[in-house]
Amino acid sequence: MKNEHWNTRFAFIMAAIGSAVGLGNVWRFPYICYENGGGAFLIPYFVALFTAGIPLMILEFSIGHWARHAPPEAFKKIGRKWEWFGWWSTFVPFTIAIYYVVIMAWCFSYMIYAINLQWGGQATSFFQNFLGDTGSITNIGGISLPIVFGLIAVWACIFLILYKGVKRIGKVVALTVPIPTILLIILTIRGLTLPGAMEGISYYLTPNFSALTDVNVWLAAYAQVFFSLGVAQGIMITYASFLKKKSDITNNAFIVSLADAGTSFLAGFTVFSVVGYLASAQGIGIQALGQQIAGPNLTFITYPTAISLLPFAAAFFGVIFFIALLTFGIDSAFSMIEPVSSGIHQKWKISKAKTTGIICLIGFLLSLFFTMGNGLHLVDMLDHFVANFGLVLIGLIECIILGWMYTLHKLRRHANETSEIKLGRWWEYLIKFVIPGVLLTLLAMSIINNITDPYMGYPWWVIIGVGVTPVVSIVIISVILSKIKNKESKA
Amino acid sequence: MTTLPLPAIMMLAFGVIVVYGGLAYFIYRAIRKK
Repeated sequence: MKNEHWNTRFAFIMAAIGSAVGLGNVWRFPYICYENGGGAFLIPYFVALFTAGIPLMILEFSIGHWARHAPPEAFKKIGRKWEWFGWWSTFVPFTIAIYYVVIMAWCFSYMIYAINLQWGGQATSFFQNFLGDTGSITNIGGISLPIVFGLIAVWACIFLILYKGVKRIGKVVALTVPIPTILLIILTIRGLTLPGAMEGISYYLTPNFSALTDVNVWLAAYAQVFFSLGVAQGIMITYASFLKKKSDITNNAFIVSLADAGTSFLAGFTVFSVVGYLASAQGIGIQALGQQIAGPNLTFITYPTAISLLPFAAAFFGVIFFIALLTFGIDSAFSMIEPVSSGIHQKWKISKAKTTGIICLIGFLLSLFFTMGNGLHLVDMLDHFVANFGLVLIGLIECIILGWMYTLHKLRRHANETSEIKLGRWWEYLIKFVIPGVLLTLLAMSIINNITDPYMGYPWWVIIGVGVTPVVSIVIISVILSKIKNKESKA
Repeated sequence: MTTLPLPAIMMLAFGVIVVYGGLAYFIYRAIRKK
């Protein structure tokens, strides 16, 4: 099988940035920053970036570049018994993609609605009607056809981008990474010229240094860095496996991680300038907006409400906001499919087009579950469990396997052979002690919180059925796939 | 129109220097190596 390679170093960097930068940079970082000490949060955030995010990125780039395969074959190369772990780390992003694409389908519909600002002054009820929201996870309701059409469009895009291999990805990301950044800058400039914008920015950046004594603020910073960079998802391993032999691993990891952080920092201005304007226009305090500043509420209720209050060119700014989200999201979405697609392609030598087609079809069919009236609640629930347990566990086990069971200095030597910035022993200490320590703490806190206070107060059968079952099923599927032999193994 | 308080301006400068300064530095190194 012929090895694929990125056309240029630029293509790889753009693809990795595109994967890391997603909806979370816009709807999660600004709120987390505001909630955890405002500008003071930048201190633990940067500490987390340099002590966990960038070292993990270097680790994943190194293993991908060393193994020259997607996670299943890469971990098999470390030890035959770890192949299941490689599959696990590819199925977690695939699971995330299933509901991530649904959110993109919402953005797709909203991009069209924004042409004539169809939500009017009633963004909340419009969003509920659009989803056909039943208000409960247990009340399924009916299928929302606009979401199904959006899903078809997004899954078709993912297939068309992936089925030709990494060379096409390189061409796509040359557009889909700069475009949303430029749109975000335009939206930020518009936001900053609105009345009340400075109050919003003030909320975002005014530091509360006493927050730095709170351990939860530090954990929030590590969690934000960990979830935002797209590590522990097999993506960076897969992308790095397509790098040419002489590629600078360390410098690439710094560029990708800082670009992700830079987008988050910029998005804070985009969000808080408009939030300040909205609070000023409605004569309310920013605190009154509370949870409306984060997640789907920000994207589909708060921001559209503010857009409809703009004095001129409201539709234009509405459309470019949703185009920005769609283009931010599409790179992340297809990067979540690529590891499992490459994994199957490499193990069973099935053509890339056929593998990608089957994966996208399965993904589309599973996404249909989220087009029902309880879709919003299902997305929220699955995201909570997959992120807090699936991703954190993968990150933790990855550090344990590579840090404690495999000679980490070999990977360090491999990275140093081709990189301009040489890694010292400090990198090994971070992978062996600091990152597992933080991830273990995050995992323990999640377990305790979920036991003492069931998520959203849902009954246990819902939590086990919707939250725990998918997380456990992925592990079982991974073990089964690792046991199925390919032709080479049989021979 | 209100202005940004001084501590917020300082955090803004801190963020810009670390993130965009750092990014520019590593891009510069990548280009120089070429």
